[in-house]
Amino acid sequence: MISPELEREVVTFLLREAELLDEGRYQEWLALLTEDVRYIVPVQVTGEVETEQEVSMNHLDEDRASLELRIRRLETPYAWAERPRSRTRHFLSNIRVYPGERADEVLVRSNLLLVRSRGDDSQAEWISGERQDLLRRVNGEWRLARRVVVLDHSVVPVRSLSMLL
Amino acid sequence: MLEQGFLKELGEKIEQGIAILRIYNDPEIYELERKRIFARAYIFVAHESEIPQPGDYVVRYVGDESYIVIRGEDGRIRALFNACRHRGMRLCRSEKGQAKTFLCPYHGWTYRNTGELIGVPAEKEAYGGRLDKAKWGLYEAPHVESYNGLIFVSLDPRAPSLKEYLGGMTWYLDLLTRRSSAGLEVIGAPQRWVVDVNWKLPAENFSSDAYHTLMTHRSLVQLGMAPSDPQFAMYGTHISAGNGHALGIGFIPEHLPLPPFLGYPEPVINALKRNYPSEAQVQVAEKMQFWHGTVFPNLSLLNAALPIPFLTFRVWRPMGPNRTEIWSWFLVERDAPEDFKRRSYETYVHTFGTSGVFEQDDVEIWRGITAMAGGPTAERFELNFQLGMHFQPDPTWPGPGTALPLDYAERNERVWLREWYRYLVSENPWQ
Ligand code: FES
Ligand SMILES: [Fe+2]
Repeated sequence: MISPELEREVVTFLLREAELLDEGRYQEWLALLTEDVRYIVPVQVTGEVETEQEVSMNHLDEDRASLELRIRRLETPYAWAERPRSRTRHFLSNIRVYPGERADEVLVRSNLLLVRSRGDDSQAEWISGERQDLLRRVNGEWRLARRVVVLDHSVVPVRSLSMLL
Repeated sequence: MLEQGFLKELGEKIEQGIAILRIYNDPEIYELERKRIFARAYIFVAHESEIPQPGDYVVRYVGDESYIVIRGEDGRIRALFNACRHRGMRLCRSEKGQAKTFLCPYHGWTYRNTGELIGVPAEKEAYGGRLDKAKWGLYEAPHVESYNGLIFVSLDPRAPSLKEYLGGMTWYLDLLTRRSSAGLEVIGAPQRWVVDVNWKLPAENFSSDAYHTLMTHRSLVQLGMAPSDPQFAMYGTHISAGNGHALGIGFIPEHLPLPPFLGYPEPVINALKRNYPSEAQVQVAEKMQFWHGTVFPNLSLLNAALPIPFLTFRVWRPMGPNRTEIWSWFLVERDAPEDFKRRSYETYVHTFGTSGVFEQDDVEIWRGITAMAGGPTAERFELNFQLGMHFQPDPTWPGPGTALPLDYAERNERVWLREWYRYLVSENPWQ
């Protein structure tokens, strides 16, 4: 059973996490991840009936070390794709919390709309999908242990995935 | 813009190592490219491992037109224009699958996976037995040919064979595609994304540009993932393989303790020694540190170790003068150790493709050039393609084509542009 308090804690966690991403506070964001975090954005392929998730190819397939590397890169003065930094807005909705396999874990599904605007382009880019998150309580605090983002796109409509979803 | 003798002048400029910025964002040039390059040249559409079984298909683009690339029940690979012969409805709306037949959703004409028309609703009643079904099969691209598993399509019936088209480039493609007798396999599906970039910019970049690495990828230089030695491209060769195909190969500098054969695992190295057609290819592969190149017009390949070796194919699919869909495949030797395949895949995902830490910055650059290229100033704006113009080809180079003894040059970009120009102004590029 998911209590209203638990649900509120989870929502608070996700909103806080989105705030850190949108404000570019990546070191603080990293602190919200477990040591064994997995972060995956699968390639989607339109099949004859349904869209199929390509199990063996992903747009991002990260562990803690590779996420740290991406962030160290963003912190250099030469990450041109994000210099000047994009303006991003993570819109989260339809947040559903389900019990996890372990008592200290919950599964969270939510809809994500990410809007990015760069430089003086009047045209913003957007990308959407469903986040499938596994949160774990570590020393009394929620941490992100796994994120799978199921994109709504087979052809990614943004110039690059230089931002985190 | 084209009326004002622009093309003629451009041709003369290219010979002097000068291009005009406007060619990277001009609707009239794009129209010419559609007809004169993409409807003639051999365009890469798929790797054979993507459609191993009869009936397997992928939907791919030749220029901006959709083709079903399918292995028919007769085992032959065809590229069928994805339009119903009755009234032109797009026949296949998925990106890949398995099909014995295709049913048109408009009126129900049905085709076999070999393209034959086999079913017409109310055929007897409505056509009075006068419809000759044999004449109304799907339109098949006149040339569909493979080299080492790479499937190319040419829409020009006059085109020579693929082998002739690739010419000397086959020697260099062998280095990437013939390590294993089991061949390469595409892992999963290509990543696809759309960028506001003129398709020529990445094609030229991959064919030629080792010069950009230190600046465009400087964030990775700082993190130790790209060479920090400004001399790195001095240890290499810059090859024009003929017919506009070009590549650069970086060699291991003598003072760096990098593993031979790009650090491929033992079984792969043993296999390549058996499988390469010549000893000279084995020797080149032994000291190779990276391979970047473009098969004219829009297939680029990259084989590098960062630090795990990986291989990617990419197609710069034009969608307009300032829009390109990037297709990026990851491939690995089918019989390589599983653990290596996994690490090679991870290296690819982290460095190239939609989220790649290298490719993100490349796209930013190509996008920035395209954005500057669309206006009247750009019509008069000369670009400098003269890097390394003073270098002479290396007469001792063992492979086909002409090779400069270092990879700091824009000779391949000049070669690429010259070929591009030749297609644009020729009624028949095969003469
Ligand atoms: S358009 Fe296909 S059956 Fe009519
Ligand atoms: Fe690059």
